[in-house]
Amino acid sequence: MGDRTQCAELAELLAEVATGVASGPDRARVLRHLSACDDCRRELDDLTQVADEVLLITPERESPAGFEGAVLDRIAALTPPAEPVARRRWGFWRPVLYAAAASIFAIAGAGVAWQATSDERELAAAYQNTLDVADGRYFSAVDLVGMDGMSAGTAFVYDGSPSWLFVVVRDAPAGTYDVILTAGGRSATVATCTVDQSTCSVGVTLDPGTYPVDEVRLVSPDGTTLRSEQG
Amino acid sequence: MRVSDEALLAGMASGDADATAMFVRRHQARVYGLALTVVGTAADAEEVAQEAFVRAWKHAGSFDPRRGRASTWLLAITRNVAIDVLRVRRDLPVDPYAMAELLVAGTDDSDRRADSDRISAALRSIPREQAIAVVLAAYFGLTAQEVSEHQHIPLGTAKTRIRTGLARLRSTLEVSRGRPDTMR
Repeated sequence: MGDRTQCAELAELLAEVATGVASGPDRARVLRHLSACDDCRRELDDLTQVADEVLLITPERESPAGFEGAVLDRIAALTPPAEPVARRRWGFWRPVLYAAAASIFAIAGAGVAWQATSDERELAAAYQNTLDVADGRYFSAVDLVGMDGMSAGTAFVYDGSPSWLFVVVRDAPAGTYDVILTAGGRSATVATCTVDQSTCSVGVTLDPGTYPVDEVRLVSPDGTTLRSEQG
Repeated sequence: MRVSDEALLAGMASGDADATAMFVRRHQARVYGLALTVVGTAADAEEVAQEAFVRAWKHAGSFDPRRGRASTWLLAITRNVAIDVLRVRRDLPVDPYAMAELLVAGTDDSDRRADSDRISAALRSIPREQAIAVVLAAYFGLTAQEVSEHQHIPLGTAKTRIRTGLARLRSTLEVSRGRPDTMR
């Protein structure tokens, strides 16, 4: 249960969020509140179901000749869902970190043989320099995948001053998605990302101590979910 | 025996071409009808409807039957694609206000499916201006600001019509279902 005063204030906005026509700031206010208020989340779910039910009044119209075949041809041309694309996980940057750690070890331990290549050393140095410039401690990236296992975007997390999260969606149904971040067992909606023509991107600074991140999840009002996968 | 939409979506998610074909065949008239109602031209509507089915196929695995029916899920995808087109293509010959009036009036329901009976009746049972405001928002994606400007009413009034209309629809549908918790 959330703050009742805030519940009353935001009740005014729930219908607009449910129908998908709320302004960005209004929607962000509501979503922030929903992360801590189950009652309002249930209310929004109910109103969204009613709003979607309105679509049933659609009159049927005979589709153009060849419509079904055209749809099936388009689907056939796409990668079958049973064969998910290769996924990058939170460990995407792990090789770089290993290289960075190895470089530090090599500098500290004179005489220790270091087998990494020159390219790796340069990459590790560049990475370390990138972190040093903004007092960074860690930078990682992870694939965001739908429940069908298909890659749909990438989430980048930077732990520094400030820490931040940047989300890029490359292929998802239109709609405004809550960006829900889980860290230390606690989840919060930290941003929204409105998918237009299958793509969107959003960045947000994170509170100190947010790292390490357990999960990043994007959830649309119709339940479409993109989720990071732990390595 | 008729295969449920949910079973067809599960088949689509697992790559079953027959399930995909059956799902498209079952819903194409309604999806195309929604697309045509929103974008107004046959060519654009066909593109919207095709894209809606492709997206439904891509995301069939994420469909959650606890959150609603497959038909409304598919129509919501279609609406979102159509509204995306509408926002880019300002030249499309669409008058959402006139269409909303027709949809709410529903003088001829013969081209609607039976599962629309309850929502059609519910829309007719609430004040007309509220029903139209809800349809403009939920169906055509018009903001309260846009409704306010077109209908020459204060923004607060437009917001109230959408909010009150949706709340009344919910109450009406709950009564017609007999139980308040069967919306899910």
